[in-house]
Amino acid sequence: MPQIIDAEVQVELSEDGDPQAFVWDRFEHTIIGQPQAVFTRTRWWENEGTPTRIDTELWRVDAARGTEDQHRYDLRHDADGTWVLSVDWG
Amino acid sequence: MSFPHLHVASAYSTHFGATLPEALAEQAAADGASFLAVTDRDGLYGAVKHVRACVAAGIRPGLGADLEVHDDDTLAPLGRVVVLAHGDTAGRGYAALCRAVSSAHETTVRVQGHTPSVPRGRLAQLAGLSSLTVLLGPASDVGQAVERRDTAAARAGLADWLRLLPPGALALEVVCHLTEPGTPGSVAPATRMLALAEYAQLPAVLTNAVRYGTPDEAVTADLADAARHLTPLAQLDQIQLNGQAWLKPAAAMRQVARMVVDAGTHNDGALARLLRDTIELAERCALDPVGDIGLGRPRMPEASVIGITGDPLTELWARARHGIDERYGDAGRGALTAAHDRLAHEMATVRSLGFASYFLTVAKVADLVRGMGIRIQARGSGVGSVLNYALHTSSVEPIGNGLLWERFLSPERQTLPDIDLDVESARRHDIYRAVFETFGGDRVSLMSMTNAYRGRGAVRDAGLALGMPDTEVAAIAKQMWRFNARDFRAALAEKPELEDLAAEVRESSQLDLLVDLTARLDRLPRHISVHPCGVILSDASLLDRTPVQVSGMGLPMSQFDKHDMDPMGLIKLDILGVRMQSAMAHAVEEHRRLTGEHIDLDRVPLDDPATFELIRSTRTLGIFQIESPGQMELVGKLQPEEFNDLTVEISLFRPGPMKNNMPLRYLEARHGEVAPDYIHPRFEPILRETKGVVIFHEQVMRLFDELTGCGLGHADVLRRHLGRPDQLPQIEAYVRENALARGFDDATISRVWTVLAGFGSFGFAKAHGAAFALPTYQSAWLKTHHPAAFLAGLLTHDPGMWPKDLLVAEARVLGVPVLGLDVQRSALDYRVESHGEGQGIRMPLPELSGSSDAERARIVRHQPFTSLQDFRDRVRPRRRTFEALARIGALDSFIDHDRTRRHELLAHIQSLRGTAISITDDQLAFEVPLPVLDYEGARFDTVTSLQLRGRTQSDLELLDTGLAVSGHRMRKYYPLFAELGVTPASQLATLPGGTEVLLAGVRRATNTPPMRGGRRVVFVSLDDGTGPVANVVFFHDAQESIGSGVFQTELMLVRGRTRRSGARGVSVTGDGMWDLVTVAKNRARALAAAAKAELAGTVTGTGPGTAPGSAAVQRQAERRPGAGTAEFDLWSTRTG
Repeated sequence: MPQIIDAEVQVELSEDGDPQAFVWDRFEHTIIGQPQAVFTRTRWWENEGTPTRIDTELWRVDAARGTEDQHRYDLRHDADGTWVLSVDWG
Repeated sequence: MSFPHLHVASAYSTHFGATLPEALAEQAAADGASFLAVTDRDGLYGAVKHVRACVAAGIRPGLGADLEVHDDDTLAPLGRVVVLAHGDTAGRGYAALCRAVSSAHETTVRVQGHTPSVPRGRLAQLAGLSSLTVLLGPASDVGQAVERRDTAAARAGLADWLRLLPPGALALEVVCHLTEPGTPGSVAPATRMLALAEYAQLPAVLTNAVRYGTPDEAVTADLADAARHLTPLAQLDQIQLNGQAWLKPAAAMRQVARMVVDAGTHNDGALARLLRDTIELAERCALDPVGDIGLGRPRMPEASVIGITGDPLTELWARARHGIDERYGDAGRGALTAAHDRLAHEMATVRSLGFASYFLTVAKVADLVRGMGIRIQARGSGVGSVLNYALHTSSVEPIGNGLLWERFLSPERQTLPDIDLDVESARRHDIYRAVFETFGGDRVSLMSMTNAYRGRGAVRDAGLALGMPDTEVAAIAKQMWRFNARDFRAALAEKPELEDLAAEVRESSQLDLLVDLTARLDRLPRHISVHPCGVILSDASLLDRTPVQVSGMGLPMSQFDKHDMDPMGLIKLDILGVRMQSAMAHAVEEHRRLTGEHIDLDRVPLDDPATFELIRSTRTLGIFQIESPGQMELVGKLQPEEFNDLTVEISLFRPGPMKNNMPLRYLEARHGEVAPDYIHPRFEPILRETKGVVIFHEQVMRLFDELTGCGLGHADVLRRHLGRPDQLPQIEAYVRENALARGFDDATISRVWTVLAGFGSFGFAKAHGAAFALPTYQSAWLKTHHPAAFLAGLLTHDPGMWPKDLLVAEARVLGVPVLGLDVQRSALDYRVESHGEGQGIRMPLPELSGSSDAERARIVRHQPFTSLQDFRDRVRPRRRTFEALARIGALDSFIDHDRTRRHELLAHIQSLRGTAISITDDQLAFEVPLPVLDYEGARFDTVTSLQLRGRTQSDLELLDTGLAVSGHRMRKYYPLFAELGVTPASQLATLPGGTEVLLAGVRRATNTPPMRGGRRVVFVSLDDGTGPVANVVFFHDAQESIGSGVFQTELMLVRGRTRRSGARGVSVTGDGMWDLVTVAKNRARALAAAAKAELAGTVTGTGPGTAPGSAAVQRQAERRPGAGTAEFDLWSTRTG
């Protein structure tokens, strides 16, 4: 069952700049395999002010807490640099 | 490890790319890249800028083009590919690229309405000898098949490419913008493309199909998409799916590569191979700016083309010596010797620079133009050359005018020489065609120019993208002038006339966004078009060095603009159409037609007293260069007496000198109010002509030479560097050291250095000034001695800043009435004819709006007409034209010039039915009295046309031609003027300074000239029909209190005070302004009310004469100046 999480998390990046692990709910989740990024555009002209970016950055990752079963998660990377765990796809 | 970008659109891919090449190159270099390609859409528009930017940034340039391809036979589209030139091929790759781009544009001519697209067969041919690599990416036919998972079609398509293109010319392009799964630009199609390359054993390269440098510029790309598709963003289907098409740094590109490789099943080492193949292709495509592109190597037309067989230098010597003897033959022995000496001096430079062919080429073009019977005059620094004068390229004598060769050319100069030729504007295209014919299409091309976004265009496209209503955007666009769009926000805060708009912007977030977006678009290239005068002349290698496309006039045009000429070693000739030259040619031709006498304008003596008297009177309307309100004022103060005064005047009236108060300093010294300050006796010969004020580049050069003995050539280099603040300390040190050694004292050096350093780069080449002064003098001479012919020329070719309606008013004041349209006499241009005692100018047929070329041609062919019937039968006018002609009186000859019968005529025309009987040209026409015009009897008295009711002749003329020739359009207001005590413009000069006056009239011009101190001043030129325009000045406070009316009210009433400027000049400082139409309406209403009241007997003692028109006019009346202004009887004598 997909679950909306919407919580700010700490993300650890690899040397190449890919997310490697994130800390959610005090537990470290290790990302498995090559994470994939997806950028989705906004309709910025409907908002106030000119944006610095026209898209939102979302990483779809497979991660596991310790030895538990891996889940698929969506990590959102906001323009201000914060990472938000938005969805747990189960 | 760096990453080489191979597919990058710069902002020169108009309405697509968002970043200028310079910024892209800097960004790439900052990221550690050693290579960057620019591959603009459909051309090499940004190529030269890119190459130069790469040289400056220390990286290697690649060049390519993003081109559409089609099948040669079926014309079937094959999508878009990137064509990249190979380097280290001695220019072969670059030449093939140029030819491929030109070929794509040829398609638009061969197949009407087709977009630029290169035939695949042609591309294959050009790719031979390992000249090009063709990248098949997502936009190619193969990529499109990959996108829709049609593997069979993708493989088949690729097989076609492989069969047709030479081996090694093909690579697949992997692009991934990390869009959502299932959409173009996502990892899936990218990984399939990679798999296809593995299957076909072809190299695959990774690109980012870049459209902008940084992520925040994605917004600009959105605007570009909206503008390209003319669709608001909210409704745009083709909008980019995200903002990832930026020039990503190497790490981000490797990240993309990993995701692409990981998303599919690939051979071992696929990731490394993809990156390696990309780098290898970049290596292959790195171009050598000199070896491959030929940067900085000038190429002149071959000797055979300029009609010589021997050594160009010998030929040039022979022609020049002959020219000097002819030009200076009558000037006395001393002058002749001096000219020959100067020639020898100039020829030494020409020889050392190897430019003999260049001079012969330009002279050949000048001969060609003259041979066509077209007026020509050289302009620019080339006028300073006695060689050009001897070759008849230039018609200004350089030595006597104190012009310097070194300002034009010297061994110290690093740039190609530049000679501008002014020709009759009406014949410009004929000249271009003749140049193409003479030199051959493989050596000649027109130059293009890049039109960048400016205020109005930027606000329109930004408004379009936001989906704002056209009318709202248009209303804002109308106010976008006199400032840069990038300064929009600052302008809103500062400019009083924008206050209303500023308030709206504060209220609306959409308008606020509009302001930001407008500023973003400012100065981005918008489209390219043919340059108004640039012709490129080269040798037969021209088309290997520049791509060409068809221009609006049908001739090929280079994709490079004027900034690209010098770096590319392309010789450019500016053949500029000057309307004044056409106007003067027309005047000369009219004079010849009427009298049989030929005027050779170039041989008119330059010291005619009557001509200078006219100039000094400031009645300079229509005279080249000195007809603007500001110029009129300066001419009035300066009171020119000789040709050199005109050169000085024109050179003073420029932003730099104006801002630095140079006109005032010169005028004070000229009129003896202060003694000229020459700083040092050794400078007096240099500065005497301008009374100690440094105005000309030539003077600066001479000062440097006198101070340091550096020679005039190096002096010009120093002069150029004055404009660069970082160079000043070096130059100063050099000047001080040498000047001391040459006997100047410290105090003198300090003073002269202050002048030189302050001069900066704003001065003017005297060569330019003198070249402008010649047509100024020539046109003034024509206005003085042949006003009718001259005004006919002005009206036909409309060369100046003033509207035609004002020229008509000027003609009337000069006693040369403009005669109304008459189908019996009007020609296709303004013609002079005798009228009463003197001459009149007949209005031509094209002034009738709405008539067709064919109708006008038939009228001229069949003139004169014996009757209305004859006219109708031969001309076969459309109903609309027929009626318009009748309305304005062009058919009055058929009603015995009895204006009162015009309504009968109109009613008759309106009653006509059926088609006219056509009579062949050779058939004899019988004069049969036709009954139709026998209007007699009571029933015709009632015939009337509503179109004529209540309209004056001027109204009708304005309606159908936009020109009031029978009388001035202000005339109907004259009773009101008399009543209000308005001062006629013609009488202003009789008033002392400081007199309070009311002025009225129609706005003819609005100027905001550069002013010392920077505060904007608005000049409004009012025409009330009594004489020259009255110039009203609105200073800052008045602008604030009046608001937008300063720029928008057309018919106005102004209150102000006279301001004397010099002996003959007068203007008015305005402090109040009203809309004349409103004043008149209120006045009429008040009069009617008063009359009604009087009739009713409710009010006593209020006669119509004192009825208040409005609050404004009431105030007027109170402040109305007393004796003097109200006494002019001009209003009453001129009415009726």
